[in-house]
Amino acid sequence: MPGVKEYTTPNWPTWCPGCGNFGMWEALKRALSELDLDFHEFSVVWGIGCHGNGADFLRTHGFHALHGRALPVAQALKLARPDLKVIVEAGDGDGYGLGLGHYVHALRRNIDLTYIAHNNQIYGLTTGQASPTTDQLMRSPSTPKGVLEEPVNPIGLALSEGATFVARGFAGDIPHLTDLYKQAIEHKGFAVVDVFQPCVTFNRHNTFPWFRERVYKLEEEGWDASDAVAAFDLSLSTFHDLTCEPDECRVPVGVYYRKEGVATYEENLTAYGDPLWKRATQPRDISDLLEKFS
Amino acid sequence: MPREIPEGVTEVRIRIGGPAGFGIKAAGQSLARVFTRAGYETADLTEYPSLIKGGHNTYHLRICDRPIHSHVLDTDILVALDKDTVTKHLGELTEGAAVIFDPKDFSMDDVEGVRDDLCIIPVPMTDIIYEVEGKKIMRNTVALGAVLGHMKFPLSFLEESIEEQFSHKDPSIAEVNKRCAQAGYEHAGKNGCSFPYDMGPIERDEPRILIDGNEAIGLGALAAGIGMYCAYPMTPASSLLHFMARHGEDRGVVVKHTEDELAAMNMVVGGAFGGARSMCATSGGGFSLMTEAFGLAGVSESAVVVGLFTRPGPATGMPTWTEQSDLRFALHAAQGEFPRVVLAPGDRDDAFHLTWQAFNIADVLQTPVILLGDSYISDNRSSVPPFDTSRVTIDRGKLVAEGEVTDYLRYRVTEDGISERALPGVKGATQVVNSYEHDEYGYGAQGENADVRIAQNEKRMRKMDLARDIVPPPGYYGPDEADLSVLLWGSTKMPVREAMSWLADEGVSVNMMQVVTLWPFPAEEVAEFLGKAKHSAIIEGNYTGQLQSLVREQCLLDVERTLHRYDGRPFAPEQVYEFVKEVLG
Repeated sequence: MPGVKEYTTPNWPTWCPGCGNFGMWEALKRALSELDLDFHEFSVVWGIGCHGNGADFLRTHGFHALHGRALPVAQALKLARPDLKVIVEAGDGDGYGLGLGHYVHALRRNIDLTYIAHNNQIYGLTTGQASPTTDQLMRSPSTPKGVLEEPVNPIGLALSEGATFVARGFAGDIPHLTDLYKQAIEHKGFAVVDVFQPCVTFNRHNTFPWFRERVYKLEEEGWDASDAVAAFDLSLSTFHDLTCEPDECRVPVGVYYRKEGVATYEENLTAYGDPLWKRATQPRDISDLLEKFS
Repeated sequence: MPREIPEGVTEVRIRIGGPAGFGIKAAGQSLARVFTRAGYETADLTEYPSLIKGGHNTYHLRICDRPIHSHVLDTDILVALDKDTVTKHLGELTEGAAVIFDPKDFSMDDVEGVRDDLCIIPVPMTDIIYEVEGKKIMRNTVALGAVLGHMKFPLSFLEESIEEQFSHKDPSIAEVNKRCAQAGYEHAGKNGCSFPYDMGPIERDEPRILIDGNEAIGLGALAAGIGMYCAYPMTPASSLLHFMARHGEDRGVVVKHTEDELAAMNMVVGGAFGGARSMCATSGGGFSLMTEAFGLAGVSESAVVVGLFTRPGPATGMPTWTEQSDLRFALHAAQGEFPRVVLAPGDRDDAFHLTWQAFNIADVLQTPVILLGDSYISDNRSSVPPFDTSRVTIDRGKLVAEGEVTDYLRYRVTEDGISERALPGVKGATQVVNSYEHDEYGYGAQGENADVRIAQNEKRMRKMDLARDIVPPPGYYGPDEADLSVLLWGSTKMPVREAMSWLADEGVSVNMMQVVTLWPFPAEEVAEFLGKAKHSAIIEGNYTGQLQSLVREQCLLDVERTLHRYDGRPFAPEQVYEFVKEVLG
């Protein structure tokens, strides 16, 4: 079993000191180690953003994709390689802005992937513009008078498109997040873990203290994760006043919803089976097909 | 002026026209099958607007007992399913041509300009389908019967084709269709129009298949061991998606109709990352959406094949028509500089062979390869000898698909620019396949060091040297020495070859060089070809002269004359013939 430290690379993270990405990085390494996933047994695909720089910091057979396009790469990888666990790391701007279309369609498919969103509610790498999940009315360099739109509700979207595992984590609680990751990776189907990970440099509003005052664990309050409608109601906590008091906008973390036993996309796919490279070892016989054109 | 058919040659041109939604293409293709099976050479051309009902659709079929290379403009038998068809195509009717129509649709008296020499054959198609209790769509079958009746060609071939076409349906359907065909046959036969040939089945030494470009590309991809095909529907590439879905899935191809072209291209890169031979195809608009991920394939060194089947642009343009205006787009798509290969099939045989070769080239070079086609080659069928599948080979280059590697570096700097490519699942092969510039391992942060950037950029670009050694050479047609030397690429090869054979019959010698690999550009070969030319010309289906500009840029040479076309129609051999005559004075 690779130890937690073995999943690191010689590159020390270039994230800002105190960045929420550190907690997510640590939790993923712990989850991989505790699940005993060796380096040739899994692959990670990243989008572009501060989260994506993590491609340099995690030892794996990884793919650092385009901004917003980690999901198509990862889905294809899974379809090509049934033998691998595939994990996708995306940002909120990356995955819920540019990549939102891919997200919704991936949800519909239920391909066996783990989708981890680094949700800091801001564009970090491009220096602090509002992201699709920035709270309404929050000011940013691209929205000096405040964001006019409602934020994207990734949990609600997941539920409305039939996701089979929907969770939310908080980067400030590594043991809890590790456990969520483990459940998501072991879940058969498309597993979403949206993680609040405060940006300590550009998001002055949704800070670690802001979250610590509001976060509570669903499992500690006896949450029934089999009720999709209740989970959807819960997801509406996304929409709240910018200046809400802690008890007015609590942040539920944990597994909102899960459903086991749902067929994955690939299970219903005729051509799914062995790794696809095995189908190109010798020319395929097409004589029967050629005959059809005579 | 219609072309005179040489003595001893049998050649018949048939056009079926009418509004969309009447099954005109399907009917025409049955006719093509009939004559191909009876031993004739066939070439068709379908023209239709981008709509589902209404408009003006036509199917043109050329049948000959000698080898042919393309469609032509003349028509000897016109099946007019509406009045519009007669009006629009009167000008192309040859002396004594037949016009088959249903008097229920319109009266020929109402059509202006109908010549006395034409043979008008009214066939009560609607009445016939009522008599045999058929459906409206079966008017086509009546019309096909009438065409054969006029030609006095044995009906049995059509009956066989009908039986086959409806073999998976209730036997009564084939029966009713056969009665339709028979009735049409008898009606036209009784009409008393003369037909210049006594045509029956002919013996042929080697068999033929009847196939369009997308089918040929689909077969080439299957033969090459394709594992993943991803696409979003777009004319004229959609039929390749249908082909793959229909024939690929049962043969082990993961076929995905994606949410958009961005997903298609990114998925193909992901599939290649996993080791699948992966391909997508689209037209110019879809490729516009794919360009960023096309560049991703370049920098990440992903082996992918992209079909770019062009139509007139920009933007939505003319969806169902043809043009060769995306050559420069293919050469320059995506920001930054990276190696790519662009191959352009000129006919169906090229389409098959270049496709499997494209997969090999992509794997060996670990870089994207574009198959640059167009609607003309994609959408239309011709009879060709069955593809020689014994030529198909698989070369996956420096691929390590399983086992273990040590001291592994995905982007190791090598002399030929190619690094060992170990797939996920191979022990010891941790790496970052990266959209960022990167170091030899794949780390992005180090990629910003000047020396690393230079090393990786040069390593990638060195692959073009290797590419020059492995890409398909140009195609040469006609005599070594000729009055006129024509340079071209892509589907224009077909009408030009056709015109060349007519000109040769008249003692006018033309030779032609088909630039098969557009990139890397075969500058030396082109320069040599033009250097030997008495007179030279480029024929290409665009306004700006994209191949010509490449010749100027890569060879520091130019040609004397050019012929362009950008009205959505393919070059016709008649047009090429006239052009050559004019050039040679």
